Amino acid sequence: MLLGFCQWLSRTHISHIMRDSTYDFAIVEIGHLLALAIFGGAVLLVDLRLLGFSFKSQPISEIARDLLPLTAGGVVVMTVTGFFLYLGGPVRYYHNPAFQLKIALFVVALFFHFALQIWAGRERVARLQTPVLFRLGAAFSLLLWLSIGLAGRAIGYV
Amino acid sequence: MPTLLHFCEWVYATPFSTSIRQSPYSFPIIEGIHTLGITAVVGTVAVLDLRLLGLLMKREPVSKIAGQVLPWTWAGFAVMFVTGLLLSIAEAQTNYFNWAFRVKLVLLLLVGVNPLIFHFTVYRKVADWDLADVAPRRARAAAVSSLALWSAIIVFGRLIAYVNM
Repeated sequence: MLLGFCQWLSRTHISHIMRDSTYDFAIVEIGHLLALAIFGGAVLLVDLRLLGFSFKSQPISEIARDLLPLTAGGVVVMTVTGFFLYLGGPVRYYHNPAFQLKIALFVVALFFHFALQIWAGRERVARLQTPVLFRLGAAFSLLLWLSIGLAGRAIGYV
Repeated sequence: MPTLLHFCEWVYATPFSTSIRQSPYSFPIIEGIHTLGITAVVGTVAVLDLRLLGLLMKREPVSKIAGQVLPWTWAGFAVMFVTGLLLSIAEAQTNYFNWAFRVKLVLLLLVGVNPLIFHFTVYRKVADWDLADVAPRRARAAAVSSLALWSAIIVFGRLIAYVNM
């Protein structure tokens, strides 16, 4: 059924545009990269704070809240641009193991990371020390996002 | 410049350059690290730039954010420099003719000069405006330049593979 949906997507006009044009794909891909720079940097800084490696004099709730617009906005732009890139070959990507892994990891990371960041942002106590749970969560978050990035890079090679 | 071209040709022909270029793993892995390293350099410095523009973390002094963010930017830049150098060595001869690569190098120079100017001029008086929501005009100009230059570097970096000659 999912394959059927991917096949339907591959017949849409926008899918043909993304597949056939050199420039459209490149422009969207560059948008994906620019969003990655902002999104990745913000995620890095939030997770580094949760690990206690950065912004040590600021409470974790402040950093988590302050950077939420960048991480949330960033992931939205990445998802939209990523979807358009995917439209360049819906069935081909459906069968690509690197792409499958990337999407699976992305769903996990999306829920896990934002649950962590929003939970950290909610802390009413202005906490400077980071509890072990946040540290583990941040380490896992970084690992997930790094794996997603690598899986994304591998798409072109598999 | 014939001497530079000869040098690039010489580098391109070395076993080291050839091994990176032809290995099925080396080039993709180095390039993957280089691409992901963008987040460490550009993403972190963008937070400082956004603070200077008064769009983020206005509660915090600019100098404090700079002190927290920039060590990571530098660490990221070290990774980018090494991976970038390896990629340039692997493609020395083809990059010589690649206009996207040349533009990227010039932009990298400019993105280095920008903070130097900033540091030795308006940042000298940072104590005056450290706590302000929005930094002075010249500091904001440096922030906009930084964001624009890094974005352009990313764009031209991606175009290298699309430009054949």
